[in-house]
Amino acid sequence: MLAGIKHYTSVTFEYLKLSILTVFEYPANMIGWLISNPLQFIVGFATIQFVVKEFGDIAGWNYGQLAFLYGLAIISHALSMIFFVQGWFMGYAVLEGDFDRYMLRPMNVLYQFCFTQFNLIGITDLIPGICVFVYGCVQVDFVFNLRNVLALLAILVGATFIRGGVYIAIGSSSFWTKSIVDFGGYTQEFFDKTTMYPLSMYPESVQFLLTYIIPIGWVSFYPAADLMGMSGDVFMPGAAPLVSMAAGALVFAVAAVIFYAGLKRYESAGN
Amino acid sequence: MNIRKNVTAYFYVYKIRIQKSLAYHYDVYGNILMQCIIMFAAAFFWRALYAGETMVQGVEAEQMYIYTVVSTAMSVFFMNDVEQRVMRSVEKGTIAVEMLKPINLYGIFFFEDLGKLTALFCQNLIPILLIGSLFIAVPKPASGLAFLLFLVSLVMAYLIHWLLAACFSMWAFVTINMSPLLQVKKHLIRLLSGSIIPLWFFPDWLASVLNCLPFVYIYQLPLDIYIGKEEMSNILPRLGIQAIWVVVLFVLFSVLQKNALKKVMIQGG
Repeated sequence: MLAGIKHYTSVTFEYLKLSILTVFEYPANMIGWLISNPLQFIVGFATIQFVVKEFGDIAGWNYGQLAFLYGLAIISHALSMIFFVQGWFMGYAVLEGDFDRYMLRPMNVLYQFCFTQFNLIGITDLIPGICVFVYGCVQVDFVFNLRNVLALLAILVGATFIRGGVYIAIGSSSFWTKSIVDFGGYTQEFFDKTTMYPLSMYPESVQFLLTYIIPIGWVSFYPAADLMGMSGDVFMPGAAPLVSMAAGALVFAVAAVIFYAGLKRYESAGN
Repeated sequence: MNIRKNVTAYFYVYKIRIQKSLAYHYDVYGNILMQCIIMFAAAFFWRALYAGETMVQGVEAEQMYIYTVVSTAMSVFFMNDVEQRVMRSVEKGTIAVEMLKPINLYGIFFFEDLGKLTALFCQNLIPILLIGSLFIAVPKPASGLAFLLFLVSLVMAYLIHWLLAACFSMWAFVTINMSPLLQVKKHLIRLLSGSIIPLWFFPDWLASVLNCLPFVYIYQLPLDIYIGKEEMSNILPRLGIQAIWVVVLFVLFSVLQKNALKKVMIQGG
């Protein structure tokens, strides 16, 4: 068991090294995204400010609280881009027979699919995320004590696994449809709309769905509310980080089950 | 004689592109889904904001819902392929063959995009309007005249957007990977053209800067006319400026085209 973990860790580091080398091979690419991604989120957030200034708040959330929520959402988006973006492109892997390689190697297939390439371009999303989040922290007087930092880490781990699980579950549909559908656009749009704005602005049916069925509410909305002491009647004060972690583990486990069920139907590229 | 031959050729390109769109309908459901997410999220966003307010900046909640539905439907007009098309052709080197054809290269791309638009009109625009009318608001124009002027403005908006895209696509001749650049342009247009958040909420200094750029003539002006936000006496001068932008961008496009096609870098072959 221990030897297994050691083996997987060393392989992960080797692949991480390779990913870093790839970035340095094509620096222009990275620089392009370094401009484009921060711009998208920061301009997006600035335009929300114009509206909030006019109206005062959105569903009871003022501008500082919104910045906190928006920043937290972008940071977990960035992390999910680094580790799990492959889920968006699973259709290509299925149709082009990439899984042949993974299945022949003596390692877990899902592990290989997720961690044999790191999308370091995701780091360019971290920058606007941290900027907006720090701005929000200052606005709401968020205290960085040990308890809060641990809670934040737990939330980010949970949120990243919730997102990653959803990407992989959706991507696994390619095993059945056998078609290349680029899920990235829809998935990002959906997550953006549900994690960057207070969930409470949506109808109760949507809130219920995103709290209990597809627990996207635990990516940023409930944890942010909890950290700012705004917990409502959905969870106990202070419990949100733990629920996020649990939701992340659960979503990812369900995604793994779907993934392996799909993999049974995998029939290579046939050439 | 020559003109007639060209017209037949362009019409053929147009027809083929419609047929291609009708054959690959996987994208269609995806697009409808995506636009519905955007439309519903925006509608709930405004609903949450307007809770307890009747009129903000001279606009009622109902008008904002119409704004949202029409803006989403309009986005169908701005799903051009010209940039991707040029990028792919340069990457693969097929641009060389396409340049040999006896009709204008960008003429082909324009008619391809028109063909795609025609297909999307039925596949995308009508479903979005139906869904929007059922669940958000029936998009009634402010008046019959407003609707007519909206159509005029929409045609010019289409041309502005297409010409901007065509000018941008020429980057592909000099740089290989322009995806990030296209993303920047896409997001700037989305955020600064009034497609989601209307310009009247922007700070005055920013609004006046944006009024000097072509972006606001893509979404904001047609939408203002549609919901009746602007007085008739203000609309005509703004339509005039929109027309000037069409001409300016066309001239820019023609100049760029002449230079860019000389510099095409063909890969492989």
